[in-house]
Amino acid sequence: MVQYSFKKITVVPNGKDFIDIILSRTQRQTPTVVHKGYAISRLRQFYMRKVKYTQQNFHEKLTAIIDEFPRLDDIHPFYGDLLHVLYNKDHYKLALGQINTARNLISKIAKDYVKLLKYGDSLYRCKSLKVAALGRMCTVIKRIGPSLAYLEQIRQHMARLPSIDPNTRTILICGYPNVGKSSFMNKITRADVDVQPYAFTTKSLFVGHTDYKYLRYQVIDTPGILDRPFEDRNIIEMCSITALAHLRAAVLFFLDISGSCGYSIAQQAALFHSIKSLFMNKPLIIVCNKTDLQPLDRLSEEDMKLVMEMKAEAIKTVMGQGGEPSNEEGVLLTMSTLTQDGVIAVKNAACERLLNQRVELKMKSKKINDCLNRFHVAIPKPRDQKERPPCIPQAVLEAKAKQAAEQEKRKTEKDLEDENGGAGVYSSNLRKNYILANNEWKEDILPEILDGHNVYDFIDPDILLRLEELEREEGLRQAEEEDTEFEMDGNELSPEEQEALAAIRKKKSLLIQQHRIKKSTAESRPTVPRKFDKYREFTTERMGRQLSNMGLDPSMAINRVRSRSRGRKRERSFDRGDDGGEAMDMDVDRPNKMLRVRSRSLSMSRSRSRSRPPSEVVPGEGFKDSAQKVKAHKLAKKSVKKRNKDARRGEADRVIPTLKPKHLFSGKRSIGKTQRR
Amino acid sequence: MPQGDYIELHRKRHGYRPDFFERKRKKEARQVHEHSAKAQKALGIKGKMIAKKNYAEKALMKKTLAMHEESSTRRKVDDEVQDGAIPAYLMDRENTTRAKVLSNTIKQKRKEKAGKWEVPIPKVRPVAEDEMFKVIRSGKRKTKQWKRMVTKCTFVGPGFTRKPPKYERFIRPSGLRFTKAHVTHPELKCTFNLDIIGVKKNPNGPMYTSLGVMTKGTIIEVNVSELGLVTPAGKVVWGKYAQVTNNPENDGCINAVLLV
Repeated sequence: MVQYSFKKITVVPNGKDFIDIILSRTQRQTPTVVHKGYAISRLRQFYMRKVKYTQQNFHEKLTAIIDEFPRLDDIHPFYGDLLHVLYNKDHYKLALGQINTARNLISKIAKDYVKLLKYGDSLYRCKSLKVAALGRMCTVIKRIGPSLAYLEQIRQHMARLPSIDPNTRTILICGYPNVGKSSFMNKITRADVDVQPYAFTTKSLFVGHTDYKYLRYQVIDTPGILDRPFEDRNIIEMCSITALAHLRAAVLFFLDISGSCGYSIAQQAALFHSIKSLFMNKPLIIVCNKTDLQPLDRLSEEDMKLVMEMKAEAIKTVMGQGGEPSNEEGVLLTMSTLTQDGVIAVKNAACERLLNQRVELKMKSKKINDCLNRFHVAIPKPRDQKERPPCIPQAVLEAKAKQAAEQEKRKTEKDLEDENGGAGVYSSNLRKNYILANNEWKEDILPEILDGHNVYDFIDPDILLRLEELEREEGLRQAEEEDTEFEMDGNELSPEEQEALAAIRKKKSLLIQQHRIKKSTAESRPTVPRKFDKYREFTTERMGRQLSNMGLDPSMAINRVRSRSRGRKRERSFDRGDDGGEAMDMDVDRPNKMLRVRSRSLSMSRSRSRSRPPSEVVPGEGFKDSAQKVKAHKLAKKSVKKRNKDARRGEADRVIPTLKPKHLFSGKRSIGKTQRR
Repeated sequence: MPQGDYIELHRKRHGYRPDFFERKRKKEARQVHEHSAKAQKALGIKGKMIAKKNYAEKALMKKTLAMHEESSTRRKVDDEVQDGAIPAYLMDRENTTRAKVLSNTIKQKRKEKAGKWEVPIPKVRPVAEDEMFKVIRSGKRKTKQWKRMVTKCTFVGPGFTRKPPKYERFIRPSGLRFTKAHVTHPELKCTFNLDIIGVKKNPNGPMYTSLGVMTKGTIIEVNVSELGLVTPAGKVVWGKYAQVTNNPENDGCINAVLLV
């Protein structure tokens, strides 16, 4: 499937570069080392390989060139003719033919020399044969150098041709030079064609695209055609003639009725009549341009007659299509690209006529059956004569009517904008629809910074409600505080009690602070249970010290605590009772509430725990005798001893996973240092 | 009608960048240094190619410079001496030119008698028999060594048929048989691809001549009807002698010089 954009052709290298590329590729991709002492078959094979490889590469590249360039007979006749006009078909074919011959020649050379290489009996002979073979191939390429250069130029040129699809909906604009074709093109499409006052500004076909009824049309702007015999036409005019001849398009023949293009209406009419044979079977519209300089009705008699003649011709084409002869308006149109008066009308007329023609053609063709199901509306056969109109409830009808009226009555912002000067001039006042408590506030300017604060931080739609809530809360809280203060004041304390209270408060605040610190660092601290008390915070000495600081006797407390920590397992049955009894005996001051809370079971009340010697066997631990216990202790200590690595290799030290990686020990020696490989 | 002129169009509409010309100038000035850096760093075959190109450019530049430096100087003009003019003290003497002429003709006659002709390559490296032939072993146990295969390029006539393989002593492989030669005309300086008619003489020996072996220096007869040569009598010359100037087995082709 040939694409009509010739942009995908690979670059054709010029002769010298071509040779360089192939030879360097041969040098890189085939083995390079050979010695005199090798077996003769190995030598032969070595050189034969080079010759064959070079030939293959040449063959590939030349085949690619020949295949990618389009064959003028295989592509659409429009492109075939266009390329013929631009590049001369014969020259083009000759160049490609030369490439083909070169390809065959190179194949033959390679074959011959490979045959000769079989008789090579020394390294020198084989090498000379290989040099001769490659040299001859390169000479062949050198000889076709000019053809390669020519093809490269053509390729560059072809890649820049506008991509015109010959089969889709097309509108063709033609006429004398300087009549306003390119201006029209710029108006209806996004193509940015150069528009200048001199003739032949447009030197080639330009394509633009426009939409009509959800379909895309391509609009082709042609260079101006002069009224000359066919043989005298230059390449530029031939381009437009080719386009006219081969593309099935709607033709817009532009007429400059003001004569400011430099050509009279008579000349333009003469041109029209000389190329009217090209307008066969194409919807033709005659467009009178530059009506701002010279309106159509004020033309002179002869000019009017000429125009009418042209119109008659155009009408004939309409009739020829089997269209209604009554449709006369779509044939002669006036417009002015400067004032944009009638431009859209022209475009619509052209698109409409083209669409109708294409639809008709499609209906007559055989392929219609494929698409027929897509737009055929099946209507059931009427069963009886009863009328069954659609049923719309009255309310809906009324609502629709009201809405319609409203639509007409309401003035939109867009209308306001248009009235007051357009988009750049009038900016709508968005504040007039604000809903505020006081209508006078609508036009007020809101300050942004007040007293060093951002006003917007304090804005809230429900701010008044919130304010009320807050005040209510404040009121409640204040009442509460008063209550609590009242309670506190009723109880008089003795000075000792007051001191104690002060100490308690101080201690409490200290504890709270400590707790807060602990909480804040809780994430980075490991949570270790209290029994692994590293810093010896929870010892009985400390407790004793603190109690004696208070002026109390710590011994009872210490005993109790010690017995508790020792004998948990034995005295479980006494737990409940002892707990109740012990509870009463606790001191007034309870600095270490935590201890009390945590330890649930109580031990035998009077026994004390002391630190034991390490080798003492405690029944229940599972040791046979003290020697075993000592050994077990030693083993435990050994297992956590840190190894002395003595600067030996560790995990993080460099390790070579493969001692002989392939990428370092294979491949050719390319340019680089030879010290270390 | 290429439409790649958007660059020009843009320039027409919007003009150039403010620093465009300066940048261009500086970039071009930098190219010289970049080229030199590349030429110095390139190694291997690429380096050699760049050096060759640079040398060619340098030589050309030197020539043009020398040409431009040619100035109009005054030089001594020698009075032209006519042919055959002799100084005054040598006049009226018998000269020995006649004797020279005589000896020349005598020499030519002698050469004709001996059969030695003037050829472009008078002396040729002798080719030994073991270089010329390769021994082919034959027989049931490959002990017989009387067959020989020619390792040089040969010419066999069009009506050539091999002897029965059992009896042929010299094998001329078909891969090494050539029928065409690239013959250069020494005066016209152009080369034609002409058919070989036969091998006239191989300087290494009559055996090789009879075998049709072509080595460097061999005189061959080629078909020159293509050249359209005509004798003074009006007959068309269609065969001429040429001497082989290359080693055909190394080049795969026969290059010869026409003997006029």
